[in-house]
Parts: sequence; structure tokens; C-alpha cells
Amino acid sequence: MTLEVKGVVAGYTKEVPILHGVDLTAREGLVTLILGPNGAGKSTLLKTIYGYLPPSEGDILYYGKSMKGLRPKDMLREGIAYLLQDHSVFPNMTVHENLQLGAWIFRGDKPAVKRAFEVVYGRFPRLKEKRGLAAGALSGGEQRMLEIARLTMTGPKTLLLDEPSVGLMPKLVDSIYEEISKLKEEKFTILIVDQNAKKSIEIADYVYVLKLGENSHQGPQAEFKERLEDIIKEWL
Amino acid sequence: MTNLSLLLEPSILSEVFLQGLVRGSMYALMGAGLSLIFGILGVANFAHGALFMMGAYVMVSVSVMLGLPFVVGIAAAAAVLFLAGMIIERGLIATLRKRAGRDWLLDSFVLTIGLSVLLENLALILFGSRRRGITQMIFGDVAIGDISISYERLMILGIATLVVFLLWAFIKFTNTGKAIRATAQHPEAAQTLGIDISRVYTYAFGLGAALAGLSGALLISIYPAYPSVGLQPIVKGLAVVILGGLGYVPGAIAAGLLLGVIEAYAIFFMSAGWQNVLTAVLVVLILILRPSGLFVAAKGERP
Amino acid sequence: MTVSLASTAGQTNRLTLLRVIKLAVLIGLLLFVPPLADSPFITTVFISALMFGIFGAIFDLMLGYAGLINFGYAGFIAVGAYGSALASFHYGISPWAGLFIGGAVAAALGFITGIITIRLKGLYLALMTFFVGEAVRFSISNTPEYTRGVLGLSVDPFPSILGVDFGRDNLLAYYYLLIVLGTIILMAMWLLVRSKFGLAFQAIREDQLAAESLGLNATRYKLLNFTVASFFTGIMGAYYAHYIGILSPTPEEFGLPRTVEILTITYVGGRGTLWGSLFAGLLLIGFQEYFRGLGAWRLVLFGALLIVVMLFARKGLSGLKKYVW
Repeated sequence: MTLEVKGVVAGYTKEVPILHGVDLTAREGLVTLILGPNGAGKSTLLKTIYGYLPPSEGDILYYGKSMKGLRPKDMLREGIAYLLQDHSVFPNMTVHENLQLGAWIFRGDKPAVKRAFEVVYGRFPRLKEKRGLAAGALSGGEQRMLEIARLTMTGPKTLLLDEPSVGLMPKLVDSIYEEISKLKEEKFTILIVDQNAKKSIEIADYVYVLKLGENSHQGPQAEFKERLEDIIKEWL
Repeated sequence: MTNLSLLLEPSILSEVFLQGLVRGSMYALMGAGLSLIFGILGVANFAHGALFMMGAYVMVSVSVMLGLPFVVGIAAAAAVLFLAGMIIERGLIATLRKRAGRDWLLDSFVLTIGLSVLLENLALILFGSRRRGITQMIFGDVAIGDISISYERLMILGIATLVVFLLWAFIKFTNTGKAIRATAQHPEAAQTLGIDISRVYTYAFGLGAALAGLSGALLISIYPAYPSVGLQPIVKGLAVVILGGLGYVPGAIAAGLLLGVIEAYAIFFMSAGWQNVLTAVLVVLILILRPSGLFVAAKGERP
Repeated sequence: MTVSLASTAGQTNRLTLLRVIKLAVLIGLLLFVPPLADSPFITTVFISALMFGIFGAIFDLMLGYAGLINFGYAGFIAVGAYGSALASFHYGISPWAGLFIGGAVAAALGFITGIITIRLKGLYLALMTFFVGEAVRFSISNTPEYTRGVLGLSVDPFPSILGVDFGRDNLLAYYYLLIVLGTIILMAMWLLVRSKFGLAFQAIREDQLAAESLGLNATRYKLLNFTVASFFTGIMGAYYAHYIGILSPTPEEFGLPRTVEILTITYVGGRGTLWGSLFAGLLLIGFQEYFRGLGAWRLVLFGALLIVVMLFARKGLSGLKKYVW
């Protein structure tokens, strides 16, 4: 029970909650997928977990400890990293500088930063080649790669991924999911929100479906794979 | 019109050019601070002129009333204004950020207008309207070929250049500098990496304020300290920031130097007074023709 | 006013009566205090207060109804003032005609500025108009052979009309002239914002994209707003010129400090109300003129008020309406 969301009510204003009591559990070392039609509150749920939106009711537990009062800037220290939905590289900074900022919370610890660079450059040799380039000059796929690499600099245990393949060319989409399955092999706990249900269900272990801010279905991946078509039809 | 033969006199032309650079170095410092604040907080800080004024008063207090060396006065102005800037950001700007609606650019601008009126008139109450200055920090002229320039102006140019260089190095190489750039480019992503962006805002505003205070202290012999002394610097600073592209610090520095030189020639060839019209017209033209500034900003706020 | 009276008439008659009384007291105060006080000082305080209230309301027509901030506003006043003053000084044109000349010249400046700037976002418009205003002011101070620059241009008073003497010492005549002008301008603006134009302004201010998707030409409406406001500003500028008697392009008179005063009045009064600015003008400038002895503290108060309004009381005085009206 790595990450537990318990009856969370949250939204951008107090009067209009978007999540009406959502329950969810992301298990250690597994990929938990959140599906749902537009406006189901999927991204809002990730934002709430990451401390952008304080829940007005309910609680979020991480390894049994309540995360109430923690803000986005505190999350990486807790071991949770967050991949934003849109492009989030710092475009006018070099690839290397982007990664340095990924290790911001280690900034006082030079050996740790050095180790992190060795690991990340080992895993993403392409980024090492382009380390001196401005991140904005990379291709869309490379930018996503850099974003993922940047998240892993401090060795978090849990990754929240918000629409990792949105806006990418089809042939790049595959490489992103390849990258995510590698992360899965490395035993990261992954919570992923995705529109691309067909691709993401391949790597998922457990699936939740949200609808209008409430839990709608849930179950292990095998169960969902067959019913996927029906569920998607239901949304339309 | 001035005698046309002067147009062809290289030594006079270069002397005017050098004077323009001195004038421009102040515009550049003001513009750099304004641009830094705008680029990171999205605040067109109208109180920048009042911060310039505070710098001038710190300089006069330290170097005239306490009789300490000028360098101490200049450094004190930068330090005091750094603190003042951080207090202003924490107290006012951050408060507005919590409740501002969609019109942040305009609302924060108007807030700083109120602050500027407040500071200027508090200065009037505290110090009166009398001008307090230092006629000259260093005496003497230096001749470079046919051109002669006072040591003092040369020092102003030198310190301004040094400050710009230090600012560049700070933003480029230090951790805080990197966090500042990251916050300017993608605040949300910066936050997810553990950067406390509200602290970055505070530092950035303090840094911008320090640049204003430094300008006020540095130019004490040209602009003595009096409550409304910041009016012209803020007007020129805003002009420079628009010419250079809002939020683009290198653009503001280049535009500052350029404007200083243009104005120096305008004063020389037209007559004093018209340079202000020229600047205003130039700004209006740039806003119409090229709202992102003279130099294409990599990430400029566009109208 | 009739609209609000009629709409509440059904609820309680006593309230309506109360409102009529309040309104009557207010108008009575405006009309009769200066003649009864019989003091030139009191009359000049009333003139300043009312004049700035009207400037504030015109500023609010732009800011509160179309989101346009004219940060070179004092320059627009200068154009109206100098337009009429120079017409009378150089060409002997009657100051009465000068009111319209001032209005027309300012409207022309507003129209031209509007055409090139109105598509810009709020802050850019503010910066742009600021430099337009400064260009006007510096052009005046740099052409002393025509405008007498900072030496100051002396302006004739209004000539007698309908048997009323507008000599400089007849302050009451100037006061009632201001009331007439102010009533016309405020009524015109009030009708404008209550008309279909007003609805369009509101739609644009709330959500320009949505308004445009409904086929509304936002640029045209904004331009109209800006030009009309400039026209009224010019008329008031011309009145100011002949009332004050001497013009000089100093910052205090036609530059930033003046614009900031008027902007503060509008923000303190409450954006998008017209009447709020009028009241704020009466209160703030009345206070400021009456307590000249306070010196700089008055302006400290102005700055502090503006900050407080931005941070904590975003509706300004109009937020108090429900308690007093």
C-alpha cells in the first residue's frame, strides 16, 4: 500500500469540487493506470496528490503517513516525482542544466549529484550526447525523454505521469511506453493518467476508471483488457 | 541646427558617444532590474523609480552624513534595497498573488503605482524636498586620444559594466541563478523539482530592487537625492524594457546603452528636451511595429 | 437612478423614499453649500473635488467598462486644455467654442492612439498611452514659441453669456458651469453604459474571446469607448484651462502624478460604476484640498489607499454601496 487516496474531495474552488470522494491505491513497484473520459478529474486527482490542490475532505497516505499540508515543492523529498502533462523542459537552458535542476534537492551534496548524472547519462546516452544543447532545441520525443530523466535524478520511488504520450508523433509514442516499461522493470511505483488507453493498458498492472469525479470501475489489468472496448464505448 | 561640419568631427562624435554610453549604463541598470522582475514575477514594477530614490538617500546618508567612503555607500545602497525589495515582495506582491484574478499584469502594475506614491511622499516627509547630493565623487578628467572624459563618469561606466557582468555570472552559474531562470521559463515544472518558487520570486524582486538602489547611489552626482528623483529613471527604464523586449534582460541592457547613445546625439544635434520626445516616439513606434522588442526575445511576453 | 428606484419600489416604499431623501440631500449639498458658505476657498475646494470626480468617472468609463487603462491620461487633458487655450490665444476663438475644440482635439488623439493600440493587452496599452501622454507633454514644453512652454500660457476666462459674468473672481459661475457640464457628461456616459453599447462593453470586459465568438467586434467597441472618453476628457480639459487661467506642462499638472491621482480615484471609487469614481473624487480631492496643511501625508494616504484597494478591497467604495444606499 504505497500510496492511498481515501475519499478525497477537491477542486479549484471550494464551491465546485471536481473530485467527489475518490478512492485509489497505488501498490509498490506496480503500474496503476487511471482511465476516464474528459472531465472525469484524472489530472485533478494527480494535482491533488501532488499538493497543488488541498483536499477539502478525505486524506492521502504515503506509506501510511498523511500528506496533508505538503506542497508541490516538498514532494520530491518525500520520494514522489511528477511528470506534467504539457512540455515542461526549461527551453532556454541546456540539457545538462535541466538535469542539474532535476537534482535541485541534492544541490548541497556534490558526490550525490555526480552519481545521479552517471546513472542518468548511462541510461539515456542520447541526452549525454546533447548535453550542451538548449532543451528547447530537442525534438518532442527527446524533450519528453529529458523530462523523464530529470524526474529520476534524485531516485524517487514513485512517479506520477500525466498523459505521457499526449501531443507526440505516433512513432515516438512507442518509445515513450518502452521507456515507461523500463522504469517498471526497475521497480518504480507508477501512477499514470492516460487518454491513450490501448497503449497504456499494456504496461498497467491495475486499472481505475473515473467518471465525473467518482470511482466507476476498477480491477486488475487482465480483466480490463477484454472489456476496454466496451468501457470506451460507454464514454462516447 | 548645429553646424553641420561638426557631424564630420570624429573626436566630438566619439565624445558624445562616450557620454551616451555613461547615460546608457544607468538606463541599462534600471532596465535590467525591471526586466528581471518582469520576466520572473510578471510585475511591471512602477515603484522601481522610488527604489532608485531610496538608493540615492542611502548613498547620501552613508557617504555624506556618516562620512564613509563612496564604495561603502554604493554597497550599502545595494544591500539595503535588496532587503527592502524582499520585504516589498513578501508583504505586497505575494499578498496580491494570493488573491489576484486574471488581470495580474495590470493589477500588479497598479499596486506598484500605489507603492511608488507612498514611498515618494514618505521620503518627502522624512527628508523634505531639498536636494542632497555629492558634487563629485572623484575629481579630474582623463584624455583618451582627442576625447576627454571625467574619471567619475569613467568609474560609473566601469562599475555598471562590472555589475552587469556579475549579474550575468550569478544568473548563469549559481544554483540560485539557475532556479531563477527555471522559474522564469516554467514555474510549474520548477516546483515539481522541489524549487520553492515563492522564494525565487522574493529573491528576484530583491535583486531587481538592489540594481535600482545601486543605480541611485552610483549616479548621486548627476541625480541628487530628492523625493521625486526616480521619475526620470523609471520612465527611461520602462522605455528600455519595452525596446529590449519585456522580460528579456540582455535586451534591456543593450537597449539601455543604445537609448543612452541615441539621446546623447539627440541632445547634441537637436536641443535638450527633444530627446524625451524622441524616446517616447521611439517606444510608441516599437510597440506598434515590433511589440516583442528590438531583439527577438527567446521567450518574451507578447501583447 | 430611476431604474434602481423603480426596481425597488415594489419591495418597500420607505426605502425608496429614503433614497429620494438621500439623493436630494446630496444634490442639495452640491448645489447650495458653496453659495451659502460664501467663501472662495470652499468654492474652489468644491470645484476641484467635482472636477476630479468627473475625470475619475470618465477614466472609469474606459477602465471599468472596457478594461482600457489610459496611463497617459493627463496628456489627454493637456490636449483639450491647450487645444482650447491656443485657439483662443492665437486665433481669438471663443472659449465657449473652445470646449468643443478641446473635446474634438482630444477625441482625435484618442481615436488615433486607439486605432494603433487597442488590440494590445492591458499592460501594453498602459505603457503605450503613457508614452503618448509624455510625448504630448514634452512637445508642449519644447515649443515655447507657440505654447510658451514651461513659462506658462495665460488663458482668457470664459466671456459672459446669458447675462452671467464669468470673470475670474466669480467662482460660483464657474462652479455651476461645472455642474452643468458634469451633469451632461455623466448622463451621457450613464446612458451609454445602459445602452446596447454598455452590454457589449460588459461582455468584452468579462470575456473578450467569448464576446467575439458571438460576432461582436470588440476592437470597434473599445475604440468607440476610448474615443468618447477622450472627447469628454478634452471638454473637461478645456474647462480646466479657462477656469485655472494659466497652463504649464509640468508633471504635476499634466504628467504622471496627475494621472496617478485620477487613477487612484477610479480604483478607490470602484471600477465599473461611474458613480463610485464621482464619489471618490469628491471625497478624496475634497479632503486633499481642504487639508492642504497636511502636506505630503495626503499623498501618502493616496498611495496607501490604492494599495489597500488592490490587496483587500477590490470593489473600492462601491463595495460599501449596500450599507449606504
